Amino acid sequence: MREGRLLRGVHRTHTGVHPALESVLAAILGLLVGAVIMLLWGYDPWQAYWALLKGAFGGFGYEIPTSVARGVPLILTALTFSICLRAGMFNIGAEGQMYVGAAAAVTVAYLRLPYPWHLLVGVLLAAAAGAIWSLGPALLKLTRGVSEVISTIMFNWISRFLVFYLVAYVLVDPRQAQRTVRIPFSARFPILVPGTDLSAAVYMALGFALLVYFLLWHTAVGYEVRAAGLNPTAARYGGISIRRTVLLSFALGGVAAGLAGAATTMGLPPTYAIISGLPDLMNLGFDGMAVAMVGRNHPIGILFAALFFGGLNAGGRVMQFYGENPVPLEMVRVVMGTIVLAMAIPELVRIFPALVRAGRALVRRAGPAQGEEA
Amino acid sequence: MRKWLGLALVVALVAAPAAAQALKGKVAVVLDVGGRGDLSFNDMGFKGTDKAAKDFKLTMVEVQNATAADYLPNLRNLARSREYDLIICVGFLLGDALEQTAREFPTQKFAIIDSVVDAPNVMSIVFRENEMSALIGALAAMAAAHHGYPKAGVVLGIEIPVLYHFEAGFRFGMDWGNKKYTAVTGKPANVGLLYTYTGSFSDIALGKAATEAMLAQGAVGVYNVAGPLGIGDLEAITEYHRNKGTRSGPPYYFGVDANQDWMGKGMHGLASGMKRVDVGCYMAVEAVVKGTFKGGVVSLGLKEKGVGISRYEDLLEFIEFGVSAGALKPEDIAETILNWQANRKTLPDWIWAAIDELEAGILAGTIKVPTADSLVEMQAIRARYTLGAP
Amino acid sequence: MISAGARERKRDGYFLRAEGITKVYADGTVAVRDVTLELRPGEIVGLLGENGAGKTTLTKILSGLLPPTRGRVVSPRGPVRFGSPREALDFGIGMVHQHFALVGTFTAVENVALSHERPLAPLALAATRAGLERLMAESGLKVPLDVPVEKLAVGEQQRVEILKVLSREVELLILDEPTSVLTPLEVDELFAFLRRLRGEGKSIVLITHKLREVGAITDRVVVLRKGALVGDVRTADVTKEELAQLMVGRAVGTRAARAVELSTEEIPAHAAHGAAAARGPGVLHVEGLTVPGDTKPVAVHDLSFDVYAGEIFGIAGVEGNGQSELVEALTGLRPALKGTATIHGRNILGLDPRQIYRLGVAHIPEDRWRLGLVLPFTLAENAILGVHRWPQFRGPFSVLRWGKIHAHVRSLIERFEIQATGPGAPARSLSGGNQQKLIVGRELAKDPAIVIASQPTRGLDVGAAQYIRDILVEMRDRGRAILLVSADLDEVLALSDRVAIMYEGRFMGVARPEELSRERIGMLMGGVRG
Ligand SMILES: Nc1ncnc2c1ncn2[C@@H]1O[C@H](COP(=O)(O)OP(=O)(O)OP(=O)(O)O)[C@@H](O)[C@H]1O
Ligand SMILES: [Mg+2]
Repeated sequence: MREGRLLRGVHRTHTGVHPALESVLAAILGLLVGAVIMLLWGYDPWQAYWALLKGAFGGFGYEIPTSVARGVPLILTALTFSICLRAGMFNIGAEGQMYVGAAAAVTVAYLRLPYPWHLLVGVLLAAAAGAIWSLGPALLKLTRGVSEVISTIMFNWISRFLVFYLVAYVLVDPRQAQRTVRIPFSARFPILVPGTDLSAAVYMALGFALLVYFLLWHTAVGYEVRAAGLNPTAARYGGISIRRTVLLSFALGGVAAGLAGAATTMGLPPTYAIISGLPDLMNLGFDGMAVAMVGRNHPIGILFAALFFGGLNAGGRVMQFYGENPVPLEMVRVVMGTIVLAMAIPELVRIFPALVRAGRALVRRAGPAQGEEA
Repeated sequence: MRKWLGLALVVALVAAPAAAQALKGKVAVVLDVGGRGDLSFNDMGFKGTDKAAKDFKLTMVEVQNATAADYLPNLRNLARSREYDLIICVGFLLGDALEQTAREFPTQKFAIIDSVVDAPNVMSIVFRENEMSALIGALAAMAAAHHGYPKAGVVLGIEIPVLYHFEAGFRFGMDWGNKKYTAVTGKPANVGLLYTYTGSFSDIALGKAATEAMLAQGAVGVYNVAGPLGIGDLEAITEYHRNKGTRSGPPYYFGVDANQDWMGKGMHGLASGMKRVDVGCYMAVEAVVKGTFKGGVVSLGLKEKGVGISRYEDLLEFIEFGVSAGALKPEDIAETILNWQANRKTLPDWIWAAIDELEAGILAGTIKVPTADSLVEMQAIRARYTLGAP
Repeated sequence: MISAGARERKRDGYFLRAEGITKVYADGTVAVRDVTLELRPGEIVGLLGENGAGKTTLTKILSGLLPPTRGRVVSPRGPVRFGSPREALDFGIGMVHQHFALVGTFTAVENVALSHERPLAPLALAATRAGLERLMAESGLKVPLDVPVEKLAVGEQQRVEILKVLSREVELLILDEPTSVLTPLEVDELFAFLRRLRGEGKSIVLITHKLREVGAITDRVVVLRKGALVGDVRTADVTKEELAQLMVGRAVGTRAARAVELSTEEIPAHAAHGAAAARGPGVLHVEGLTVPGDTKPVAVHDLSFDVYAGEIFGIAGVEGNGQSELVEALTGLRPALKGTATIHGRNILGLDPRQIYRLGVAHIPEDRWRLGLVLPFTLAENAILGVHRWPQFRGPFSVLRWGKIHAHVRSLIERFEIQATGPGAPARSLSGGNQQKLIVGRELAKDPAIVIASQPTRGLDVGAAQYIRDILVEMRDRGRAILLVSADLDEVLALSDRVAIMYEGRFMGVARPEELSRERIGMLMGGVRG
């Protein structure tokens, strides 16, 4: 094998170029297209990208910690998607699993415990809630053959409105009806760099990513998950229980999403609560899918991709008030979208056949009943 | 270099009182997630700051937020640059983030609309929305009774305390309108209230869906208390009219924050509960320029002309606003005014007089409009003015 | 339609010429080195070479599936460059792949129609069906037309693949090991059809490892060794021994010829004894086994047999007569309807594959891509499929012991002469034969008590096939029980102590191979008891 050990499991794509190099090329391409778009609309791409770079990685005291902090929840939601994809399933449910995880984390506000324990209990609650929520689609798939694509999307809606309800009526702060009760200091991730958003939640995300990497590539359990994902019939032939790999990957993915919920409530200033309408959480699960694509669905790749996304996010905001003719947010988002798309394309193309298969399975199921294996 | 900077800082600090007037020449306006283009709250904040910047020859920088998680980093970025005389936060949701930033940057001046942030460097501008909402509520109730509709509707955004002001005032106003109608016509009026917290200040489709549901239940019109969702509200009302083949009359659209009567060429906007965010922003900038800026709460109501019900004079000002936002074509201005006037004529003069009477009462302090700042208080008001609810 | 190729043929003596073709894969493997080759109309060319010699690679380049690293393909009109197999098809070049390029969830008719149509055009199903039925009659290759092809046995899929390409009017037909899973009768019919095509002036390239077939049908033989062209001779001018020598590069005792002789020569007397006598239930004991099929409600009917220790029990028959379903039922991949099956007296029906493996079963599956391998996995990862929980590969906390696993793979690579860049190479990059060696190696390395082997030597070159057969015989001699399912009649007859002929889910008869004449077997395989 010519790739380094760290890149095990990062698949080569159609170009045959080294995946890391390919990502860099894609990023450059995305930046160029973004520059052209800005030029066409009369903005100065040099100045804008300079602002982006400075805002994202301009210093260790503020910019870099901010970028990292932005990436933390994305690492976790991206892992949710990637773990399940490695097991051969499209889990679109990180969004909803994250919501319930966040709601569970907020419930620690009703407990009285000393510092590290209070935090730990909250994290465990969030992880458990995410896992339990993700078991719904997993069980539906195993017992009734319901496509996980459909069921996770539906579960997202259910959890969205469930958490809306919880925020408005159950966890609500009676004096500040727009949000839930705040998580007390004893259950917050300590801020690592004062004056920034970077909290110790980053260690949790990092640790979990490494754990997933180890699990997938260095344990028999992870081996089974990957085998089942790449060739389920061969996996069955190899004595691997698909039921187990499905349950396991969904549960693990749910834990990751639940932790993302914990990170955004217990580890993100200033609110430390869920705001009505979930504006702090909204779309982090879906953005995680983009991160997963850019990170080639590999835990280590995801770490880099999330840092990149965090940088885009942190630096992008600087674009809108830097220089003489700053780029408005809408244009910033167009440019960001272009860059992200360019970087996600190689992986999207690679998993396209699997996507088609998932789609075809849906169509088949909708048709006359087939004697599919349980 | 360091030393030199430190020295400069000391000099600056010592010289601070005297140099208070020395402006850096830049103000920033930070909008909430709804962003520009809502033709109400955010656009008004922009409009007021922009006007002040022009009047006082300052540069204005506008900052939008993609999600609520952007508030804090955006405020920090602005404050860190130390380039701004004033940073205005338009919207309640920025409150938590501002509280943090104001503490981290005690020499930076801030203003916030709709929220109270207890810090010496923050001017908190709040509005007595209950007052103008009472006027709209009274108008809606009397209009419903007049046209024989059983209900009037309110579509609200996220359930935040600010919105309780609207709901409380509207409830009081409807109750007042019901009583007034009975007193004037001798016929009992029992117009009920339909209200929904959609949970969003950005999803226009939610506004449309909520309005459709209310119209189906016989609402005489809908009061938009959710910023951009009003675009959806009006769309539903316009479609309703198109299906019925009517050009004016009920159901009506009641705009919010800005004077939104001109929207949709003025066909269905009857009146707007104006909350002059622009006035608040202008005031804050003016205070900084004139050196009178002070931390603390500034409350704007009918009396301060911070809120009000829309009238013909405002219509012209806001038609201009609509034209500049590209939401109204200049050639449609005349038609818009005619439409609006026709629509207003669908109600008898005595109702309009009654609204003036209510306004005068509030201004004089003889009529007290209740308000609510928390769920508990809101529930008390809901219990008091049930408006058809069991 | 007269294809472009057809018009050109009339002008010049050759249809297509490969000039100095070299192919280097991304990992640095040189699969084909500077090969120059001319293909002429009205000629059948045999392409020979050991596993990994570069046969598939060369033909993929000819058919436009792979771009050459160096060199070019020219037609009489000039160089040709195909962006895709479809362009090659339009030019008149069709290829039957060693591993099938079929859409699993589509039926045979849909697959064939799909290969004809432009994207997005509606499929002309009725016309395709009529054409296919005619073609099936002409070529003697019969397949169920309305069953999703993933439900078909490998041999049937092979037939679909061949029909798919035959249904196109091609001028150059390339067949990559089409006969490895066909029965002799089918091979004969296919060859008769190929001869007819040759008569019509088509150009045909046939890849095979069976020298007998080379002698039977080809006009010319091209031999590849380690990617280089080492021989291009008229079939009539060369002996099997010379061909074998060309392939391996040194003089060999023609082991190829020994394949059939094996049963008489090499079965030690003490091993053959187990077969004849009924000594109560065997290591594998099957009674009244009834198994459902994918395409029919019952694929295996009320089957009873025993496989004893020290015996190779062969099952011969045309593919699709219930062999696959039988094997799947015995290995836990398919639930049975009725009956019992025991190993060492323990019931195995209803157990999952892992539990069955624990009883000492090794399973060489018939379909190496669907069952045997996880193609994107590395050699190392594939080498532990099914044994990944064995204590020598898995430490505490389920942690895999990669060091030991790699050592294990290296020994497999060495023992089975698997051509690969190393334990970390993806299984996908192996040639077909080497993939088979990997599977066989993995399974036999389990040192099982029972081997259930479906087409174990499919796609192996003569030497490798012989090596595997030798191992099977040796295992038998050491008291293992072996259930051998194969469409290769020579192999079954050569290796088995007892042979059962399977037809439509039933055994037409069980006998010692020497008791059966080829004619009689042919009749039994066709369902005639006589
Ligand atoms: N995708 C690939 N990447 C890297 N190496 C490859 C790839 N495909 C084939 N090879 C290597 O190229 C060589 C030739 O392979 P090829 O498939 O052409 O052999 P073959 O002659 O068809 O063998 P077989 O008889 O086993 O089918 C082998 O060493 C193989 O490992
Ligand atoms: Mg090959």
